[in-house]
Amino acid sequence: MAITALPRRLLGLLFMTVVAIIYLPIVVMAIFSFSSSRFQTLPFRVGTVEWYVRVFTDGQYSEGFLNSILLASAVAVTATAIGFACAYSLVNSRIPGKTLITLFVLAPLAVPLLLVGISLRLYFAELGIQPSLWLVWIGQVLYVLPLAVLNLRNRIAQIPKSHEEASWALGASQLRAIGDVVLPACRFALLATFILTFTFAFDEFVIAYFLTNFSITLPIKIWTTLVTGFDPTINALGTIVFLFSMTLGIAAQALFMRKDVR
Amino acid sequence: MKTASSSTISNPWVGILPAILLMAGFFAMPIAYTIGLSFSSDANQGFTLDNYRTFFSEDRLFDALLRTQILGLSVVAISSLIAFPLAYYLAFVLTPAWRTVCLFILVAPFWTSFTIRAFSWQLVLSDTGVIASFASMLTGLNISLGFLYTMAAAIFGLSLFGVMLITLMIYSVMITIDRRLIEANTVLGGNWWSAFREVILPLSLPGWTIGAVLTFIIAVGDYAVPALLGGGFKPVLAQVMLSVLKGTYDLPIAATFASILVILILAACTPLLLVVRSVRMQG
Repeated sequence: MAITALPRRLLGLLFMTVVAIIYLPIVVMAIFSFSSSRFQTLPFRVGTVEWYVRVFTDGQYSEGFLNSILLASAVAVTATAIGFACAYSLVNSRIPGKTLITLFVLAPLAVPLLLVGISLRLYFAELGIQPSLWLVWIGQVLYVLPLAVLNLRNRIAQIPKSHEEASWALGASQLRAIGDVVLPACRFALLATFILTFTFAFDEFVIAYFLTNFSITLPIKIWTTLVTGFDPTINALGTIVFLFSMTLGIAAQALFMRKDVR
Repeated sequence: MKTASSSTISNPWVGILPAILLMAGFFAMPIAYTIGLSFSSDANQGFTLDNYRTFFSEDRLFDALLRTQILGLSVVAISSLIAFPLAYYLAFVLTPAWRTVCLFILVAPFWTSFTIRAFSWQLVLSDTGVIASFASMLTGLNISLGFLYTMAAAIFGLSLFGVMLITLMIYSVMITIDRRLIEANTVLGGNWWSAFREVILPLSLPGWTIGAVLTFIIAVGDYAVPALLGGGFKPVLAQVMLSVLKGTYDLPIAATFASILVILILAACTPLLLVVRSVRMQG
């Protein structure tokens, strides 16, 4: 490659600058989370875990956290299951309009969450259904299903067709072949999809904001705290949520890259 | 029935139907209903264009639409300028091992919510924030940035996300480029710049298009970043929409905002469809 040393260094510098900018505010937030000052300004007065204690003792935060964990788990299970069924069937069939069906299932990717949230809110209002976490469940499954389908489709397409056909030839039903051949062959991709969809649902704010009235998820609690006057607890909570989501995200990324044993 | 020779399953609809029903019932129908609602009003029975007339005659609302478009286009433009060299660096300069590490580093912070990332920028950019305080301490003057709660701050916040997304999309295409094409260019007397211009740039355009369209859609539909970094004085469409829902609760007007957002997105998706078609024709 005929790239000389100078542009090579400049590109490296650009990369490091972008990374530094992306991480800067998060590092600042983490440092502030240990600051005993109520004011978010320099100099730091580092040396307290008061805000962390408050995150775990304030009932509203723990209620939000619990709601978010339950909700995100339900969303992730549903999306991974429906996503697997859809991806498997799309890969292994020659039905007419396959591209159109795929585009239809992936469509929510091309629509802002705001629009999903508001149209569901208006629609459910027309149907006379009260806002609740059940509706958020539906809304968030819509949001993460395309990701599940995309990821699983790519993985399922890589499974050699001969394995499944061998199992059919040996008399296994289609369902049995899925259980014995397909599921084990993409178990890492399934786990990664679960973690991925869980993470997206856990952090999702807009749909939850539109489709609930009184139930609090963690992102809603964070938002209301932010707009109703500042509370330094947010620094600690933000740092915890950041580390939590990033750990899950990295785990999903690593699992996707891992080659499943065939 | 199922035979070993056919490589398709006998009943694909069983697996596809749940996803389709979900999308039809809770995605397509609600959006269709919302668009329908935008053509009705409380005062007027039946079909009416009143809401659209209101939208385009009130400066406050029309300005919000313009601002939203400027926001989306600026974010895409700025992100693309940075994403191209970054993706080039990842795909062509780094060794494969470093590539993986650097991709992890670049993507990892974006796993957390927009809200928390937008809020953390307030700590850095506000007039009493870290940058202003540092500058004041160094110079001994009382410096206030005047950056937070401006349109520029909202563009900045969303561009960080755009840089990540567009870089990823361009990278995923760049990595598949046959290196022999670049060698051929070098043999024919080209340098790295002509290799970029003649080979890499044209072949990366499909990836760029997907990244740019998705970034535009996310930028024009986002609420958290414009609210937390852009402030409330010059609202974008999302902010006006929410203020209607929280304030006057005029549902047909809210539905009109949503419908205009749909039109904006459909317009943005046109280049995407062209790319899908050209890729399908090639392969």
